[in-house]
Amino acid sequence: MKRMKWLALLAVFAMVVAACGDDDDGAATGDFAGEAISIFGAFETVEADAANAVISSGFNADTGAEAFYEGSGSFEEQIKIRVEGGNPPDIALYPQPGSVVEQAELGNAIALEDLGFDIGELEDTFGSYLVSLGEHDGKHYGIPTNVNSKSLVWYNKPVFEAEGYDTPGTLTEWTDLADQMLSDGYTPFCIGTGSDAATGWPATDWMEDIMLRTAGGDVYDQWVAHEIPFNDPAVLRAGEIFESIWGAEGYVLGGPETIPDIDFRDSPDPMVADPPGCLMHRQASFIISFFPEGTTAGTDVDIFPFPDIDDGVKGSLGGGELGAVFNDTPAVRAFIEWFISADTQCTMGSQEGVQRISPNVGVGSDCYADPIIGNISGSITDALKAGGMRFDASDLMPSSVGSGSFWTGMNEWMRGADMASVFQDIEDSWPTDG
Amino acid sequence: MSAVATGTVAAPPGFFRRLWDRWPVKVAIIVIVILWLIPTVGLLVNSFRVKSITEAEGWWTVFSKPFEFSQWTFDHYSSVLNARGFGNAFLNSLAVSIPATVIPITMAAFAAYAFSWMDFKGRHILFVVVVGLLVVPLQMALIPLLKLYTSGEFFGIATPFPHPLNGTYMAVWLAHTGFGLPLAVYLLRNYIGSLPSSIIESARIDGATHFQIFVRLILPLSVPALASFAIFQFLWVWNDFLVALVFLGGTPDVKVLTQALADLNGAYGQFEHVLPAAAFITMALPLVVFFSLQRYFVRGLTAGSVKG
Amino acid sequence: MTEPQDTGTKLAEGSDGLSESVGARAGLGALRILAAVAVPLLAFIVLWVTFEWLRDADANRGVIVLVAVLVGVVGVFTLYWAMDYMVNRLPASVRESIRPWVFVGPALVILAIFLAYPAINTIYLSFLDARSQEFVGLENYGFVFTDDGMLRAIRNTLGWIIIVPSISVAIGLGFAVLVDKLRRGEAVAKSIIFLPMAVSFVGASIVWSFIYDFKIFGSQTGLLNGAWTAFGNEPVAWLSQEPFNNLLLMVIMVWLQTGFAMVILSAAIKSVPEDIIEAARIDGASEFQVFWRVVMPSIASTLVVVMTTMVITVLKVFDIVWVLTNGETGTEVIAERMIRWFFRNSHNGRGAAIAVVLFLAIIPVMAINVRRFRAEEQIR
Repeated sequence: MKRMKWLALLAVFAMVVAACGDDDDGAATGDFAGEAISIFGAFETVEADAANAVISSGFNADTGAEAFYEGSGSFEEQIKIRVEGGNPPDIALYPQPGSVVEQAELGNAIALEDLGFDIGELEDTFGSYLVSLGEHDGKHYGIPTNVNSKSLVWYNKPVFEAEGYDTPGTLTEWTDLADQMLSDGYTPFCIGTGSDAATGWPATDWMEDIMLRTAGGDVYDQWVAHEIPFNDPAVLRAGEIFESIWGAEGYVLGGPETIPDIDFRDSPDPMVADPPGCLMHRQASFIISFFPEGTTAGTDVDIFPFPDIDDGVKGSLGGGELGAVFNDTPAVRAFIEWFISADTQCTMGSQEGVQRISPNVGVGSDCYADPIIGNISGSITDALKAGGMRFDASDLMPSSVGSGSFWTGMNEWMRGADMASVFQDIEDSWPTDG
Repeated sequence: MSAVATGTVAAPPGFFRRLWDRWPVKVAIIVIVILWLIPTVGLLVNSFRVKSITEAEGWWTVFSKPFEFSQWTFDHYSSVLNARGFGNAFLNSLAVSIPATVIPITMAAFAAYAFSWMDFKGRHILFVVVVGLLVVPLQMALIPLLKLYTSGEFFGIATPFPHPLNGTYMAVWLAHTGFGLPLAVYLLRNYIGSLPSSIIESARIDGATHFQIFVRLILPLSVPALASFAIFQFLWVWNDFLVALVFLGGTPDVKVLTQALADLNGAYGQFEHVLPAAAFITMALPLVVFFSLQRYFVRGLTAGSVKG
Repeated sequence: MTEPQDTGTKLAEGSDGLSESVGARAGLGALRILAAVAVPLLAFIVLWVTFEWLRDADANRGVIVLVAVLVGVVGVFTLYWAMDYMVNRLPASVRESIRPWVFVGPALVILAIFLAYPAINTIYLSFLDARSQEFVGLENYGFVFTDDGMLRAIRNTLGWIIIVPSISVAIGLGFAVLVDKLRRGEAVAKSIIFLPMAVSFVGASIVWSFIYDFKIFGSQTGLLNGAWTAFGNEPVAWLSQEPFNNLLLMVIMVWLQTGFAMVILSAAIKSVPEDIIEAARIDGASEFQVFWRVVMPSIASTLVVVMTTMVITVLKVFDIVWVLTNGETGTEVIAERMIRWFFRNSHNGRGAAIAVVLFLAIIPVMAINVRRFRAEEQIR
């Protein structure tokens, strides 16, 4: 399902920068003995265990409440069933901000204003962009709980050092480098977008990164909101640039038409093989988990930010999740208050194996157990502060596009369909009522 | 084979005939069995292989070097068996599966008997409707049923249906019963309806009530059919993930085995290498059930020939 | 379970009890009514109390599970017994017309709640919009029968329901017949065909990835590409090869479902009375003739049942397609579209309308069944 997609998001975004964190001492207050609080989300295993460890030693220990985080690999279906079936969790962490707004429209989610939150304060904590994602009718419904950064390119460090390659800062430098690699006998890129029922999402991330660096944040927002058609000239231009990479002779290992058939989890493997099958791979930080055993980040592989394309157009692509509240009780309010505080978020990041990055801008990069994550968190925070952060478009678009025709369209395109007709089809699939 | 043997004892060319009967039969069986096993063998091999080798080589390469011990490992099995809450999840699965197998079978057997041997208005139509309900996809039933469980409402209208029922074993049993009943009624009606009418009629003449006939005659005679349905229903319930997650929930106290194993896969799918081992562990109990019910198929044979 | 017999005798007394005094009869009647109410009520109360305890129990997990299993297993039989007990205390005139409903009633109630209600609800949703808020008439059906993906899904599903059940039933029947002739190893051979049924869905998708996997770099991990590249060919992404990929997906379903056909048909073959087979053999029939003229007619109704069940199972299949090809490269099927529209695209109306198409698709299958019952009842 879409799990992988959101996973991807999960891993690198880094949005939050807000500056708050000054008024929280991290200790929860109140007595909620025996009160159960259910939090439902998509992340599982290590991350879920870490979250529950922090919750039980923090909030539960302080207040006597029984808050519990439940993660599910089939979050998207489950949350629909639970909400429509009248059994919503107290708090649901949506990887798609669009779904939060939908729950607001349906009258299911409770506005943060009505929960007693000060929006200005939240904007200080998370940056205004993230908070604005959950806006509906002048009220706000989404609490940012996690961010990641997607604009990363991984590369084979030993080969770069041996050949004297410089990491590129612009598209031209990037393609020049790729041509250089070609003439040196290397294949520049590994791209694989296979992801079971979510096949195609890594390609949408490429498109979004390019959009941000060509059309800029404002046009990007219009594109997401369908204020410009999906096949607007600005989008087509981004498409052409993308095609000039995946479609260029010899650029991609295996050739363009196999891209959707290569599982994204396996796709970076050739980059770290000996001899390497390719030298660069664009993917969020979570891909570390899939490198073959023994691969060390910083030594065998390293990252550079997705290169700039047009002069003066900067941006950073990320993902994350927004929490929607379905039950208003004092315990739930206190829980949220405690959960988003810089101290709690910092403790969360310090848990072993955690790759989630806090959207709270008051959380420093030294909070994270993993130094690479800490590093990325720093750049994300900067992007959030500068206002250049944009959320993964496919998670903001209506699901029939964002996790439907956008994904499948990318696959058809790489399998040989013509770009103009693919983008037209995606435009046609945009729901008329949404 | 015994049937064939007894049938051919008298025939003069018995030896050749038996040979002719046996070899093509054996060859055909072996071919099918091998075809069916190939995919499972791949799974089995990879459940014991070190992750890096599984990812780098095809599973069949193992047959060229079975004694290279460095490729083998029990780690996947131990990480599955040591998964947190595994024992609890196993118990929960049992608590869900056993009643969710017995309840629909009992209900279906009574209903199948009535559909076959009792006279009442509209039984044909009702039966066809019951079988037709097989086609309702359970995914479409989840939301209305959850709503019923949480609020007692049908179509948004309050009813005295006991609620909240979600989060209880009863909720899952009833749901599995509902989803399993059409097939159970269908299969059992087919079997019970084909029992000779003479035995039921003579029991009626002897003054037995329907309840007595059902308990003393029909149930024992239907053991093969009951056993085969029991196997399938148990399997479906045991392997079910969705129904339990929706009606029972996913918190550690009520988590069933399939959920515990799905969690192993991890947020990024980075623990995929333990899944073959997990698959074998989940399969174990259904296979034990299958083997232990095997003998009832044979007993059915004798019961059938006695009455014939 | 000897209770019904006692009841029978009591009832017999009751029917020729004309000589008894009116008072005694009244007393007996009152007692009877009391028992009729009290016994089932008691059973009900016990069940309910245990159930409530189960709901809130904080006891040891093992104990809870044990009690749950007992309640689930014993409770349902007690229910029938109690109902029959009650019916036996009704006046003789209505007793026999009510009794069938005791037998079918519980099943019908459960089916009405758990399947009929959701089915009607689905039909209702199919006339509403994406969020089930406004009436849109037949708009969703217009979509269902014009959308390219849906049309391909209908075409593919037709292929699935023709190919998969026939191959599965043919292999399952053949295997059941052959294995019946084995002197030893029948149980083992059958369990191997049955094995895939025990593989959970997660297991099945992994199993087949070890067959169909495609790798662009390094050695192949999928058997098909392993064999293919061994002959010097370039690896192929099998599941993207239209329209051949549909067949590859069907193979998985055949592998999974043949066990079902085999187990049910094997049970049917075993219940063919041996004396009939013997008689045919003595008449000089060959094994082949015995099969076609004796065995086949006796298991014909079971064949229809297995075939019907398989067709319906195949109609509902979505996960194989969902995980392995995501319904792309021309592999859409109806159930996969239903899940996609209802859950992923969150368009309740379209999802429901596609489900209704599934309901309609079984009408011809059920018609065949109705004819079959009629014929059967006449023979009997």
